[in-house]
Amino acid sequence: MLYRIAGQYKTSYAADHALFPVRQDAWLLGVILLFAFVVFPLTASDFTYQALLIPVLIYSLAALGLNILTGYAGQLSLGTGAFMGVGAYACYKLVSLFPEMNLLVAIALSGFFSAAVGVAFGLPSLRIKGFYLAIATLAAQFFLVWLFQKWRWLTNDNASVAIQVPNIDMFGITVAGPNARSITQYFFVLCVVCLMTWLSINITRGRIGRIWKSVRDMDIAAELVGINLMKAKLSAFFVSSYIVGVAGALFVFLWRGAAEANLFDIPLSFRVLFIAIIGGLGSILGNYLGAILIVALPVIINTVPAAIGITISPSMVEHLNTMSIGALIIGFLIVEPAGLARFWAVIREKLILWPFPH
Amino acid sequence: MELAYSILVQPFADMVGAPDFLIQVVWEGLVSGVLYALIALGFVLIYKSSRIFNFAQGIMVVFAALTLVGLHERGVPALLALPLTLLVMLALAVAIERVVLRPLVNQPDIILFMATIGITLFLVGFGELIFGGENKRMITSELGIPTGSFEFEPFGGFVSIEQGDVTTVVGAIVLVVALLAFLNRSKMGRAIRALGDDHQAALSVGISLSTIWVLVWFIAGVIALATGIVWGARAGVSFALEVIAYKALPVLMLGGLESVTGAIVGGLMIGILEKLFEIYWGQPLLGGNTEAWFAYMLALLVLLFRPQGLFGEKIIERV
Amino acid sequence: MRALYKATLLSAVLAAAPLALPGAAQAEDSVVLPNLSYRTGPFAATGIPLMNGQRDYIAMINARDGGLNGVKLDYQECETGYDTAKGVECYEKLKSSSAVTQPWSTGITLQVLPKTNVDKIPLLAPGYGFSAMQDGKTFQWAYNPPASYWDGADMILKNISGGNLDSLKGKKIVLLHLDAPYGKEPIPLLENLGQKHGFTVVPIPVGVKEMQNQSAQWLQIRREKPDFVLMWGWGAMNAGAITEAVKTKYPMDQFVGIWWSGFDGDLKLVGDQGKGYRSISWSYPNSEAPVMKDIKKYVVDAGQSLINQAEGEFDSVFYQRGAMISMILVEGLRVAQDHFNTKVVSADQLRWGLENMKLDDARLKALGAEGMLPPFATTCADHTGHSGAWMLQWNGTKFEKSSDLLQADRGEIDGLVEKAAKDYAAANQPWPASECKM
Repeated sequence: MLYRIAGQYKTSYAADHALFPVRQDAWLLGVILLFAFVVFPLTASDFTYQALLIPVLIYSLAALGLNILTGYAGQLSLGTGAFMGVGAYACYKLVSLFPEMNLLVAIALSGFFSAAVGVAFGLPSLRIKGFYLAIATLAAQFFLVWLFQKWRWLTNDNASVAIQVPNIDMFGITVAGPNARSITQYFFVLCVVCLMTWLSINITRGRIGRIWKSVRDMDIAAELVGINLMKAKLSAFFVSSYIVGVAGALFVFLWRGAAEANLFDIPLSFRVLFIAIIGGLGSILGNYLGAILIVALPVIINTVPAAIGITISPSMVEHLNTMSIGALIIGFLIVEPAGLARFWAVIREKLILWPFPH
Repeated sequence: MELAYSILVQPFADMVGAPDFLIQVVWEGLVSGVLYALIALGFVLIYKSSRIFNFAQGIMVVFAALTLVGLHERGVPALLALPLTLLVMLALAVAIERVVLRPLVNQPDIILFMATIGITLFLVGFGELIFGGENKRMITSELGIPTGSFEFEPFGGFVSIEQGDVTTVVGAIVLVVALLAFLNRSKMGRAIRALGDDHQAALSVGISLSTIWVLVWFIAGVIALATGIVWGARAGVSFALEVIAYKALPVLMLGGLESVTGAIVGGLMIGILEKLFEIYWGQPLLGGNTEAWFAYMLALLVLLFRPQGLFGEKIIERV
Repeated sequence: MRALYKATLLSAVLAAAPLALPGAAQAEDSVVLPNLSYRTGPFAATGIPLMNGQRDYIAMINARDGGLNGVKLDYQECETGYDTAKGVECYEKLKSSSAVTQPWSTGITLQVLPKTNVDKIPLLAPGYGFSAMQDGKTFQWAYNPPASYWDGADMILKNISGGNLDSLKGKKIVLLHLDAPYGKEPIPLLENLGQKHGFTVVPIPVGVKEMQNQSAQWLQIRREKPDFVLMWGWGAMNAGAITEAVKTKYPMDQFVGIWWSGFDGDLKLVGDQGKGYRSISWSYPNSEAPVMKDIKKYVVDAGQSLINQAEGEFDSVFYQRGAMISMILVEGLRVAQDHFNTKVVSADQLRWGLENMKLDDARLKALGAEGMLPPFATTCADHTGHSGAWMLQWNGTKFEKSSDLLQADRGEIDGLVEKAAKDYAAANQPWPASECKM
């Protein structure tokens, strides 16, 4: 009833290829955007911005980058955290070398550094696949984090070898640094993430996206029909690392405010991988659902017992937290290995048929 | 020129100049290598029989060692705690098979891999909940492991070899020989290898998948316990031990995911080479801590020329 | 249908609960003192006894005196696992209700520090954080009493050189440190002093992943043959380093740690073989002191403590240092109460209290902590207080005082502090500076 698609005719190819062939999808997206742009900013507290809204957006973007590589092009990577680090350090150097540069430009440029590093570490994918490749990307993970620690130039010879985000103004408003207000940071991140998402949707459903998918599904067949595997794989590494690098720059500049090398170590990579897999590989929407789950879960676990009047010690909460995230990951994989995005697809199917399922 | 000298000549001059030190470095590398090999062996066994890339091997080491120490702390005599810990590892293997593996049969590799990361997180939380997070002393002397050290004085210097480390090496050799004998001679062992060669065929001749899986995870648990005891004896038992799992991954790349020989040779090779590189090149030229990535870079280089690893049994996953 | 409706309602309430919570009402006559603790993770081993000490001191004040002048002290822990991300999350969650931030990690301090000017909550990092936090004109909201890492490094050098740094000429000193902001803190001072007095400093970093396997680092130490090894270690690294030192046969009396590397538990792993190991410390455990007796009576014997009695945690350096840390904080509260003539102290008032503390001998005696903490006083410009410290030495079973109270040589340190504070403010423009005219 709600989701009735009967009566929506497509009269041209353009209409058939539209981003939202079903009108209700567009409405739903409109409602979500309304919430994101209007309702949340009106109601959210500082804590909600810092612990929920901003991290959800940034993690979704990072997972989106990984998903392009793993979900669309079929190349498993465990080095996401380090590529985020490349983006962050590149942005830091750009901002400190050219203080006049607009932050948006700096973030957009820093993505290219991480893309270049991503392609370099993507080269082994031309020779190896699967878990061998996954371990090879770990080489990037460990080497880059080591480099962040040892290469003092990256942190401007900071005594504690950490980067600290200065106050950065854009059009007279402080957008980054300790003086920035959470709401400005939120809107900044939201706009960047929306733009990147729109671009990725169009890339993945266009020609390049189809090439990636064919490589993922069967590389030999793809090669036989004339696809250049090298180009396909390296372009996937390039686009993926670019998005991940931008996410990394946002991660430090618009959320964390400071970073040391260990921040980009392997737990971050796994976190992003969880989001991509629980959300659903090969789906754009899934990254958002996964990020909401992974970011919100610990916050809820931390606050619910106190809210309903049970006092347990914080370390106990932490243990239960770790345990339940582990259990949830296993549970989700068993119930729906294709991820949350698949859940939504099923619900949508049901809604289209409802209330006459036969 | 100066740079070339410090890369190509100086390190070797140092090695020849202080041979006692070189021996010590190689020995330390060898001991680490034995431990890497042990962990890699746990990975290989599980991968061979079930195509699962078991990330949880690292946490199993911590969990086994913690159980052993925790039982002892609660008043169980050391020699009784050992078999009890083995029982716990068996229970863990059964639980993992029932709860995690059975429902996930036939899922893509990456899903199973993620599931083992889930197991890792669960065990971290569970272990800390029960045993607490503080660093614990391994009950070395209670288990009858000697703690002194042998000292030699070759070439006018000195080399000190811990008796505990000697025990590690000997114990690991015994364990590996026993394991190889089991895999090659016993009926169960052959069943494991059959499963590794061809799932369908193995199932059709009546090999029980779930029994084998429990068995394999239990063996991995035993290896984990052995690793935990010897590593814990070096620096205490705590959750920081978990990171040694990352040390075993390049060993797998180098040796091949399915090769028992590869795991052993690869482990020893990486242990010794990374120590030599760190001492003679890493510390003087690169600011140290190169052990974090050296093994990965080495494995990556090798893979570019031999994609199946040094001992890969067949050309798998080759592009 | 009705059941479904109820379930929906319930889940809606549950989902809304966390959003409502952070602003939760705070009782009228209590002060919230949060602690960003870590009882989990690789650093839990050293974190747990300290946090137990902090917790138990405040529990003792509440039990013995019914709070501070009738105001109940509400000690809350937020678990970080030494993870910077979680620490910042804790800070954001607690900042609306708390009177103070105790970050317990140099990494978390680094991220929270710039926010203190905006959120106006004092940051108390006793014996850790940045050494430059001493400069109260730049860091108006940050406090690191009673001594900074640079104080510690200088005092160690003074002690091992027999009081004259020039006697270290031509010597080689290794700094074995955790590869994190904390471990790198003393490097600038050590290098400066090394240049001035003619000794070489070799920093050897230990990555978080190598904490338990330091054989490469100790091989390097064996090759370098240093005259002294200083250690800035924490968590599992301490135990790893001390066992390796025993193995390498490095003479224990040339091996000296900062105060966070002097934990009984780490030394107990090696027992007699660790005899001679020294650690500088601005606190000294004394289970017979009145304050500790009170903690024992009101908290431990009442079954309210979390400590591990069987392992002798009560007598350990770290547990009692934790108690001293809370004592400093409560003293700051008391000063603020007196000055503002109020009961429930706000974050802003506590800031004044923390920079006008006078813990002299008489005051320490009144608190029942004579000899456990050296006397010190803070001012608006000096947020550290520079109490000085004692050298403790491991005698095989416990730590004992092995020196008189040492004092750092301010000349070299103050210059560095000024420069570091200026650099920090310049890198974080616009940064508010205070004139300190009271």
